[in-house]
Amino acid sequence: MGGKSKTAVKSSMILLLSLSFALAGCGGNNNNNTAANDEESQGAAATAAANTDGKIEPFNVSVFIGQAGQQPTPDNKIYKKIKEETGASFDMEFLAGDINQKLGVMIAGQDYPDLMTGNTKLTAAGAYIPLEDLIEEHAPNLKAHYEDYWNMMKDPNDGHIYILPNYGVYNGKVNSSWYSGPAFWIQKAVLKEFNYPQVKTLDQYFDLIEKYKAKYPEIDGSPTIGFEILNYDWKNWGLFNAPQHLIGHPNDGGVVVKDGVAEIFADKDYAKQYYKKLSEMNAKGLIDKETFVQNYDQYMAKLSSGTVLGMFDQHWNFNAAEDSLTTQGKIERTYVGLPLVYDESTKDYYRDLAVLNLNNGFGISVNAKDPVRIIKLLDTLIQEDWQKTFSWGIEGEDYIVENGRFMRTQEQRDNAADATWQLANKAKAMFDFLPKTEGSFSDGNSTDAAAQPEEYKAGLKPFDKEVLDAYGFDSYVDFFSEPPANPVYYPAWSIDLVEGSDAKIASTKLNELQTKFLPKAILAEPAEFDAVWNEYVGQIGKANVKAYEDKINEQIKWRIDNWSK
Amino acid sequence: MAETLEIENVVRHPKKNKRKKKQPITWSLIKSQNQLIWMSVPLMLYIILFAYVPVWGWTMAFQNYRPGKSFSEQEWVGLKQFRFLFTDDNFLRVLRNTLAMGIINLILGFVTAIVLALLLNEIKKVFWKRTVQTISYLPHFLSWIIVTGIVATSLSINDGIVNIVLMKLHIIDEPILWLSEGKYFWGIVGASHVWKEVGWNTIIYLAAIASIDPALYEAAEIDGANRYKKMWYVTLPGIKATIVILLIMSIGHVLEAGFEVQYLLGNGLVVDWSETIDIFVLKYGLAQGNYSLATAGGIFKTVVSVTLLLMANWTAKKLGEERLL
Repeated sequence: MGGKSKTAVKSSMILLLSLSFALAGCGGNNNNNTAANDEESQGAAATAAANTDGKIEPFNVSVFIGQAGQQPTPDNKIYKKIKEETGASFDMEFLAGDINQKLGVMIAGQDYPDLMTGNTKLTAAGAYIPLEDLIEEHAPNLKAHYEDYWNMMKDPNDGHIYILPNYGVYNGKVNSSWYSGPAFWIQKAVLKEFNYPQVKTLDQYFDLIEKYKAKYPEIDGSPTIGFEILNYDWKNWGLFNAPQHLIGHPNDGGVVVKDGVAEIFADKDYAKQYYKKLSEMNAKGLIDKETFVQNYDQYMAKLSSGTVLGMFDQHWNFNAAEDSLTTQGKIERTYVGLPLVYDESTKDYYRDLAVLNLNNGFGISVNAKDPVRIIKLLDTLIQEDWQKTFSWGIEGEDYIVENGRFMRTQEQRDNAADATWQLANKAKAMFDFLPKTEGSFSDGNSTDAAAQPEEYKAGLKPFDKEVLDAYGFDSYVDFFSEPPANPVYYPAWSIDLVEGSDAKIASTKLNELQTKFLPKAILAEPAEFDAVWNEYVGQIGKANVKAYEDKINEQIKWRIDNWSK
Repeated sequence: MAETLEIENVVRHPKKNKRKKKQPITWSLIKSQNQLIWMSVPLMLYIILFAYVPVWGWTMAFQNYRPGKSFSEQEWVGLKQFRFLFTDDNFLRVLRNTLAMGIINLILGFVTAIVLALLLNEIKKVFWKRTVQTISYLPHFLSWIIVTGIVATSLSINDGIVNIVLMKLHIIDEPILWLSEGKYFWGIVGASHVWKEVGWNTIIYLAAIASIDPALYEAAEIDGANRYKKMWYVTLPGIKATIVILLIMSIGHVLEAGFEVQYLLGNGLVVDWSETIDIFVLKYGLAQGNYSLATAGGIFKTVVSVTLLLMANWTAKKLGEERLL
């Protein structure tokens, strides 16, 4: 490598690093909430009831947004429209710093704004008012919106509804062109190199990576990295979650649920099989040496450089790196998600139907002076014309209508992707947490512009067309099997373990052991793998895993009893 | 005879002081100093409000504290939180790490700051002195999140400056993965601390050095002292009082080995060396909503710190040095 390119690499790394700091500051957390949700949907013909109070009295709602974000510009188009038509203006406070610390201060001082994003800590502290009566009395649209989900929204601890979930209520045709969940990702270039093979199993996957790395030891002057594993802070699924998917099980977090009974899988044989494979791959030099010491920024910088051939991750988690690759014009270095399993006879179950995003969305605080007005406002905003305004914008300005189908011109598409433009023209911060229609509107248009099929096709790059044509798919989502209907309890990861309980302590312990031993086992010489693994299993045996499993099973049973229709 | 007299004179000195101290507090004295007393009232209030009233919160450590409930509704659990803290397998390890890193930071921070101050003092060209000083204290203003980012980047095996330099100097044959080995971790933390704080810590010593009477240097020079002798016999004794006071104060903070560095640089591979009391308390206290445990951890740290502080102070007194209390 010449000195010049080294400097270039270094300065671009620094640039990326600082960029990712900036990005992290500007709302990296968004991803967190869009986690399970970005997909779907809902129709919503039902919510057309008019809410005509007559005159408009201005009022102010203070809002706490539990994630980092930026204030919209004072003359933001959408907030202005809300103020003109409903009288409501929002006084938003965004999270700065650590959420637990912030909540601790809020709870200690009982200092709550009117509306707060959902959080189990706040629920446990009694910071929200029960909403069920308010909704019954004042909010017919919300009632209709949540009709099918009413029981699920009840707090398992006392049966009240405190939070209006923001995602997961869907109706109508669900258009989905973007898979946001977990998968084994592989660079499109690798697939192209080997003439678009079918990749179903873990072994096939690593074979491809091995062959490609042998053929191209360097990409753009930097050493090729075969496989990357992120295990940093709470972003630890890259290391922990793969085994459950490899046996054809959906994402239940730390447990696998069979016939309504949950057990942890961290110490099971099918988990061992995966980590052993990784250990072998490490011995072959396919796994990044730095993989367990890097932080999220370094991980993103590596993905953005285009040298990483594959990893296991959730799509939303590295979305920004793909955007960066696209901006650099390296479309062939972006990724395809593959639903891998151990053997071809297993059916993959990576993609799931959207679930109700419990513990997220808005709750009204005990300090709110006029809860009735607030619930009426939320009831107005769930109506279809408002939902269109939130998701698509203003007709003629932000989108066009052709033969009843919503479309965007290229300029409008570029605008919509521009963060600065959004601050002045979108009510993104509020809409992220408001109850929302997902899927399709009553006129058949998709609620999410990116999921509108025509829009998706129009925005597709030629290289992506080539890949999709080679496999005969319409979008990258088609790589995954159609998800079956969700089991009633699903997903187990959303179960609230209750702060400070034995179950929660056990889960923390388990997490700690996994973080400590799995990297050790993977990096060990293959001959030593079994020794490390046995020590790890022994340590898990000492942690109070039973308390954790019991709590999950108790809640699964509760959900089956209470959520079944 | 003359000698004994002199000794008597010397021992009378403290007596004099004592008598002065014992001056009775009378109304007339208070009246004559009433402005001073009034001036101290806001400060007293401030300290009571912000340093003593919060101690009330320590009661949380003996409860199963649940936020949102009033004091009388809390459940009292005695020493349960402390028992959890001290009986957990990890606690000893965590305590060891905290102490080790605290002591490393203390010693490294001290030695480097004093050495840098001495060296800076020898630079005669004001421009260079200022430049070096400014460059060395600027990192103090960076937050740890940025510093750890820089540290992680420079220790990286691809294009990390540390590995490149060591390779070029032929000290190592292939890049070392610094952050994956527990044995390096304490050193890395210590070095990062030095890099970030050395310039800042130097300022106070430079100020102390500036107050040394130049006549002493002239006298030493006339007696034939060279640069090093002057450093050793004039400058160092001149700032001894400052050194001792600062040392006592920092010994009280030895359990504050830090949280951010270890949290941000730590990973699964080095967790046995990187986890400090603060991280442990965060994991099992705050992150679990168990504020009582977090408080118990805080109390433990405070008690140990106060004990260390008093011990250091007592030792200093025995050695006849300046002291804090």
